[in-house]
Amino acid sequence: MNAKILMNPHPMTLRPSDTVATAADRILKHHLRHLPVVDAQGRYLGTFSIYSLLKLTLPKAVLDKYGLDNVSFITESIGDLAQRLDRRREDLVQDWLNIHEVAHPSMPAMEVMLLMLNGRTTSVPVVDKTSNRLEGIVSFWDVLEKLMGENA
Amino acid sequence: MHGSEAGAASVLFGLNPMWVAAILFAITYIVVMTEKVNRAIVSLLAAGLMIVLGVLNQETAIRGIDFNTIGLLIGMMVIVAITRQSGVFQFLAIWAAKKVDARPWGILVMIALVTAVTSALLDNVTTVLLVAPVTLLITEELKVSPYPYLFAMIFSSNIGGTATLIGDPPNIMIGSATGLTFNDFAYNLMPVIVVIMAVTLIPIYFIWGRHLKAAPEDRQRVMQFNAREAITDPRLLKQCLSVIGLVIGGFVFAKALHLEAATVAMTGAALLLLLANFGHDAEHQSKHVLEAFNEVEWITIFFFVGLFIVVHGVDGTGLLKLLADKMLALTGGNLTATSMIILWSSAILSAIIDNIPFVATMIPLIKAMAPTFGGPEGLMPLWWALSLGACLGGNGTLIGASANLVVAGFAERAGQPIRFIQYTMLAFPIMLMSIAISMVYLYWRYL
Repeated sequence: MNAKILMNPHPMTLRPSDTVATAADRILKHHLRHLPVVDAQGRYLGTFSIYSLLKLTLPKAVLDKYGLDNVSFITESIGDLAQRLDRRREDLVQDWLNIHEVAHPSMPAMEVMLLMLNGRTTSVPVVDKTSNRLEGIVSFWDVLEKLMGENA
Repeated sequence: MHGSEAGAASVLFGLNPMWVAAILFAITYIVVMTEKVNRAIVSLLAAGLMIVLGVLNQETAIRGIDFNTIGLLIGMMVIVAITRQSGVFQFLAIWAAKKVDARPWGILVMIALVTAVTSALLDNVTTVLLVAPVTLLITEELKVSPYPYLFAMIFSSNIGGTATLIGDPPNIMIGSATGLTFNDFAYNLMPVIVVIMAVTLIPIYFIWGRHLKAAPEDRQRVMQFNAREAITDPRLLKQCLSVIGLVIGGFVFAKALHLEAATVAMTGAALLLLLANFGHDAEHQSKHVLEAFNEVEWITIFFFVGLFIVVHGVDGTGLLKLLADKMLALTGGNLTATSMIILWSSAILSAIIDNIPFVATMIPLIKAMAPTFGGPEGLMPLWWALSLGACLGGNGTLIGASANLVVAGFAERAGQPIRFIQYTMLAFPIMLMSIAISMVYLYWRYL
């Protein structure tokens, strides 16, 4: 079994010029964790995820590599936090991409599962090696479904 | 620690040892300046070549290493590594911001003062690593540009560091080489440092300070910060503050107790390690002791080790004595003129090159002038000129001190990059102003 068989070939995607507000709506509506971002030619650029949204909501001083590791002194209401996110709603998703390890269509299933474990992610984009086009996405649910189906 | 010594091995190929040493020394300087090779690698390799090429033998090379400087640096780095985990520096910054009702200019002054005082007691890079994140958080909450705050932070870290024996590596080296104590540094440099700190804030006020405005609701958000919550480990905090108190007490009474600074710092570090690990099992202790040791900046330490050997090699050949004589010939053996040349040249050179190798070279050079000025006592104004020039000169450009680059890194990542030219255009004149104040002070007090 390889990535091509495991993947969903028609995943929901974002364009780099989409706004954070669009991405957040889609994530909330479909309960997704990761949305691959592709350009007009379908090439994979990166992933906008729930972690991108968390970063957008936190102060920059926390995200710095030498940033604060304790913010328990900040007592903000949910309204304040909502305002923080709201200030960024017009930001473009291209500025908040996470670059994930990607799978290739022929990658064996076990290697794909190892990528998920090591990257602490529930989905892996499947990308064509030469054209860098997004072919699909393997989510952990697809994998589990296949595994449980075999045992049924 | 320095001085011409016999007993060096014979130089390979019959080369003149003075030339071999001078060339190795010059290459070390140039390669360190290019930053193409890590500075610790450069200095260790040059030190190795000094021995391999026969300018020094191993025994004399090791005698050139100032273990008092090394021990003091390592001891303080271990103490800081443990103390920073307590959250006390974030507490200080937040407390200071709230003291001035979160007014933007007031916060800038307070952050500058916290940075200056902390830099006087700790390493400058550590200080800015601890204060910069809270500063960025506060400016983000106030919706003001972090640029003036970070600019002021660079200046206050270098100015504050000049005030004490342990504040900046040049002072540690000068103190160690001359036997000048913590009290000597505080007594002789603190007054002028207070003036320089205050005067430096004036241009910052006129350039940025008077335009800084924050909305009341944004200030309110900062006022709601709960400073006490920044303290992550109150027990550790008490232990750290007690040990730091003891260590500073140790520095103050070092002369009376017949102790060298490295003994005080290393014993303090060992005591703090004991307190912080007391009652924990062996595995926990190993992990925590290793974590504290890993925080020691080994690149800086090994850079020092190599550099001391290289400078010792150059010193042993009589080259520095020759340079000292040339300098004295230039000033006609006049103490005022010599002090001024040292002050201004250290300031301008330290703005461009690393002040550590510069000071390491100047120390034996100044020592060689003792006979002209009536013995070691007569050299006092020269040591203060070197300290003020080398420490304050670091403010002149973005590459003048490591702390400057660390702050610039924060600015870059926060999307407000501090550009080299733009920084230099403002900082260099402000730095020259601080040197002018130092010049008046030296003249008035010692000459």
